[in-house]
Amino acid sequence: MTGRPSRRQLFGVAGAAAVGAAAGGAIVAVDNEAPQQPPVRAISPYGEHQPAIAGPTPEHAELVALNLLPETDKAALGRLMRLWSDDIVALADGRPAPGDSTPELAVANVALTTTVGLGPRVFELTGHKPPGLDDLPVMRHDRLEPAWSGGDLLVMVGADDAVSVVHAVRRLVADAKPFATPLWRQTGFWNSTGADGRPVTGRNLFGQVDGTGNPAVGTPDFDHTVWSSDGPEWFRRGTTLVVRRIRMNLDAWDELTRSEQERAVGRTLSTGAPLTGSAEHDELDLQARDADGRLVIAENSHARLSHHSVNDGRRIFRKGLNYVQDNGPTRESGLIFLSHQADVAGQFLPLLARLDAADALNDWTTTIGSAVFALPPGFQADSWLAHELLS
Amino acid sequence: MIRDTAGTACRRNSPDVGDVGLSVKLTLLTAALAVALPVLLSSCGSSDSAGPATTQAAASTPSILIEDAWVRATVGAKDTTMTAAFMSLTNPGDADIRLTSATSPLAGMVQLHEMAMKDGTMVMREKPGGVNVPAASHTHLSPGGDHVMLMGLEQPLKPGDEVPLTLEFSDGTSRDLTVPVKVFTEEEEHYHPSETPAAK
Repeated sequence: MTGRPSRRQLFGVAGAAAVGAAAGGAIVAVDNEAPQQPPVRAISPYGEHQPAIAGPTPEHAELVALNLLPETDKAALGRLMRLWSDDIVALADGRPAPGDSTPELAVANVALTTTVGLGPRVFELTGHKPPGLDDLPVMRHDRLEPAWSGGDLLVMVGADDAVSVVHAVRRLVADAKPFATPLWRQTGFWNSTGADGRPVTGRNLFGQVDGTGNPAVGTPDFDHTVWSSDGPEWFRRGTTLVVRRIRMNLDAWDELTRSEQERAVGRTLSTGAPLTGSAEHDELDLQARDADGRLVIAENSHARLSHHSVNDGRRIFRKGLNYVQDNGPTRESGLIFLSHQADVAGQFLPLLARLDAADALNDWTTTIGSAVFALPPGFQADSWLAHELLS
Repeated sequence: MIRDTAGTACRRNSPDVGDVGLSVKLTLLTAALAVALPVLLSSCGSSDSAGPATTQAAASTPSILIEDAWVRATVGAKDTTMTAAFMSLTNPGDADIRLTSATSPLAGMVQLHEMAMKDGTMVMREKPGGVNVPAASHTHLSPGGDHVMLMGLEQPLKPGDEVPLTLEFSDGTSRDLTVPVKVFTEEEEHYHPSETPAAK
């Protein structure tokens, strides 16, 4: 809304990070003698899509669902989106959000991203609801708690650094206060970098490599799976996000033998390879049988049931964040399951129903929260989030 | 959003306006400077970056870029008829540009102010000649420093509101902004002095 492009585009990230605490626009010379430039970890807040969606899972992330206040109408929602858009740009650049009361906590180069979503009820105000964007029906194995379910708005912040995440969320929630009030918050973590520094799929707290079956970012398959190409005009290049809080019974899981654990998933724990292969990304051989004539990848294994070849080709783009929730001496562990797809009802729901009916993992997992959001397309320097819906 | 405009409802800036008797209202704007200073970080830019930046921004004479604009809410203030707008101004060009005036339909009068020491006390006063944005650099309008002063507000501004603001620059350009209203908690003690004595 205000002057753009950003200073980062003009002066580079080193400029945004330079510290020159002098009033009224001091000039700080860029030090060309600086021994090393740190690797650039900043992620542009602009783009065709909200940038975190196709990016790697952040090391630290927080999700906040908010409900609109009764007086928040479509115009007010537009004001919030303009305000958040400015905050998102500043925070991504490592600058304090306008009016930040703790500006020192804004630091550059931490791969900070902010993703914003709109829950189903928002479209009662605005119309133009993406088709299929409805709260998911309660599954047989679900034990949903209102404290972890639903929401009119989602804001999700990820970064390399937990302090930056907490600071950004604090600003975004504070600036939303005139419009919306938090409903739930979930904090999670993920390790998507191997010991050699290369990207890896990452593991959940069962120890499983989690997310291998995803379509590869940048492929037509990914684009077709994730980005909306029909439906309302404003939502083109947007996507949907399903958030499910899945409690994992680690004590019971730990009592299984390793082969029982691998049979439940259909993959080896050490590499994530299918039980019919040797490397993580080997294709599953769903017909293979062992010497006793049993399917190697079991009928009720998670890998088989969730494979797109047995789901009419329907795919999703899976992400996840591990979580722990401590209460005095007790700890609950689990997974914040995140799934992107162009159409929740068309792609995700049939898969969910299949898994609910038969997945072996249901014995050790319980979904306790569920929410769905439409993630508007990204915005450019002269625009703001969801302006095509809210202008 | 850039458009050419001429007339303004704003009184012309003139150096001899000097201290306009507003030091009483100083508390509206002076968060302790020590607190405000960190807001002013991230000054950057230099002659080294001027070349590429200029090339990147525009072929001819790029105008000012405005970021992080906000207006402090007046709800809860003793005087709800005045407040200030803050922002970062970036000049990607190779010639200095001054912010010369500002107007808002919500304010009876808008002035460009600076904080300055006068007879040992910090006073707020109209800034002679406006706010300079040096070539290939930034100027930050921040609490405790230069700011756009909005006076004669017809109604209180609450967080979540937006304020239309038009800025005029010395290069003849003009910018229409829609600026969000935000709380700024650091200064609340000026509105509601604490019963607890502050640290000496």
